Amino acid sequence: MYKIISESEDKNKIKIINIDKNDLIEFMEDYKSKGYYLSSITGVDMQDHLEVIYHIHNYDTHEYIEVKILTTDDKVPSLTKLWKAAKGDEREQYDLMGIIFEGHENLRRIVLPDEWVGHPLRKSYDLKKVQYINMDSEGKEHVSYNENEGW
Amino acid sequence: MKNGDLGIKTTTIEKALEWGSANSLWPLTMGLACCAIEMMATQAADLDIARFGSEIFRNSPRQSDLMIVAGTTTKRMAPRVKRVYEEMPYPKYVIAMGVCVIQGGPYVDGYSVVMGVDKVVPVDVYIPGCPPSPQALTYGIMTLQKKIKHETDR
Amino acid sequence: MAHYTELNIGPIHPAVHGILKFKVKLQEEIIEDVEITLGFLHRNAEKICELNYYADNMVYFDRMDYIDAMNMELGYLTAVEKLMDMEVPERAQWIRMIMAELNRLAARLVGLGAFGLDMGMLTPFFHCFIEREKIQKIFVEASGGRQEVNYMSIGGVYQDFNDQIINDIREFLKEFKPYLEDIYGMFMHSEIFWQRNDGIGILEPDVALDYGVTGPLLRGSGIAYDVRKDAPYLFYDKVNFNIPISHKKDNMGRFILKVEEMRQSIRIIEQSIDKIPDGPYFNNKAKKSMMLRLKGDGEVFSRVESENGEFGVYVRGNGTFKPWRVHVRSPAFKNISVVPVMAKGMMIADLIVIIGSVDTVIGEIDR
Ligand code: SF4
Repeated sequence: MYKIISESEDKNKIKIINIDKNDLIEFMEDYKSKGYYLSSITGVDMQDHLEVIYHIHNYDTHEYIEVKILTTDDKVPSLTKLWKAAKGDEREQYDLMGIIFEGHENLRRIVLPDEWVGHPLRKSYDLKKVQYINMDSEGKEHVSYNENEGW
Repeated sequence: MKNGDLGIKTTTIEKALEWGSANSLWPLTMGLACCAIEMMATQAADLDIARFGSEIFRNSPRQSDLMIVAGTTTKRMAPRVKRVYEEMPYPKYVIAMGVCVIQGGPYVDGYSVVMGVDKVVPVDVYIPGCPPSPQALTYGIMTLQKKIKHETDR
Repeated sequence: MAHYTELNIGPIHPAVHGILKFKVKLQEEIIEDVEITLGFLHRNAEKICELNYYADNMVYFDRMDYIDAMNMELGYLTAVEKLMDMEVPERAQWIRMIMAELNRLAARLVGLGAFGLDMGMLTPFFHCFIEREKIQKIFVEASGGRQEVNYMSIGGVYQDFNDQIINDIREFLKEFKPYLEDIYGMFMHSEIFWQRNDGIGILEPDVALDYGVTGPLLRGSGIAYDVRKDAPYLFYDKVNFNIPISHKKDNMGRFILKVEEMRQSIRIIEQSIDKIPDGPYFNNKAKKSMMLRLKGDGEVFSRVESENGEFGVYVRGNGTFKPWRVHVRSPAFKNISVVPVMAKGMMIADLIVIIGSVDTVIGEIDR
């Protein structure tokens, strides 16, 4: 049985439930059976750890809930088995925030090319190191730091 | 051009060709982002750039001679823009529409936007604005026509 | 052994509504599988938002769903104002509501016009844009911007409504109502339109919920979910309007539903325009000179109904002038992800119509 660490409210009166990341699947399975659907996944970089925030929504009772877990090693379990909506969201968070969703069968970058270095929404991402993208005649994309190799 | 007494005009072939290509610019729809909607508005009934000879927006690069780059060119899109440009037949012209396309615009701080499409393809006319109004685009096309008409004079 | 053909559509293709790439696996003309490549318009808005002051970020929200700029602003503002505990005067809220609905009309008109173009119907496109131009004239009068308006600001709106604008809106609505029926008729009287849409692009409700689909796509599958009713913001609980749903589940049902929603939008504007009270149009705490000195603290998730569905904004503040994290729950991102399900087993020509019916805006998917 999962354990709720603490409960609070955000400024829009949405309930926040803090749980441990090992309890996530169990917790979500329970809420799925109560009629909740996944609405969005947000990763927040707190510098020493990552917060992963799931918003779930019940269309019948009009209830929105925010579920929050912490991770220090960038890894969290994937929810793709429960809701298909997680497929795209998890890929996006992996791409931009570098959260590794364990159990996602197709965890690739979604908006940036595969060769891109770094995860841009991390606070430690260096915006001054400019990367360039080029495409060969086959349509494959290549990333490099050298301006002359771009497009 | 000279007007003869018999109602005959004499001109050079270059001039005639320039006159022709200036007044029948067929733009390629290169709508990449928000500016594309203003480009569509320019094409639509109220503002109608058919009045200036840009009758039809073509969707194939092989049938068009003007590329209006309307909208943010991202790094991922840049090689593709270049390839489409290379597929167009000569003579070909490029209009950069919107500040994004000129120098990055609001996204100048970011990591994934090309700071100016002129690093990718040669640009003839720049139209500032975010987005430029359809009137501005019409003016840009007229400016390009002027440029084409005087190409051999330069 | 089955023989497959692979076909690339996009990124630059008139039918994909922007820049998207579809890789279609075909068996003769039947679609086996669709793979979508995103990211050609990834403009890193979320990252830039972290580098800017709260008030500056309006610009990037305008440019997300660029044809529905007012609703995007509203989404961001409802979140940020709660973060700052900022009250919004009543007059400003009514004005916001009118503008949001007007913009919804404008966005739908673009959508309908482009939908027609996908099927080779050129006429409705021109009529839609004539009407849209009228809405934009109202926007220019109120804000100075045509499309990316940046009209609302933290704690109110940028400029007050004067009598001229109110008159213009009234006149526009009077003209627009019969015109909308004309445009509707243009579509409905076309045999080709019926044949290409009736029974095409079936989306079952449980699939839609599983994929997190919202907006007209979800209502087109028979689930009456609209944020304006579900969690009313502004004064949506003080006006009368209906949420149309369709049980046909296909393109045709969605099209009829979208037009019906436009009629409901007109109803909302008509009611609210009589209700605008006198008073200030912005909160004194958020004067223009104070705009950059506003601090936010805590976290908030707020959602509004945009043209494509439930648009949610998550903002985390850390007590400074700049947000720590801004995340967008993009409805179009979810909507586009069901296209492979809807297109499976259909003809390749139907894919174009399905994409047109889903009607996404790429700026919002890639951000
Ligand atoms: S210039 Fe402005 S309106 Fe045009 S594409 Fe760039 S951000 Fe959008």
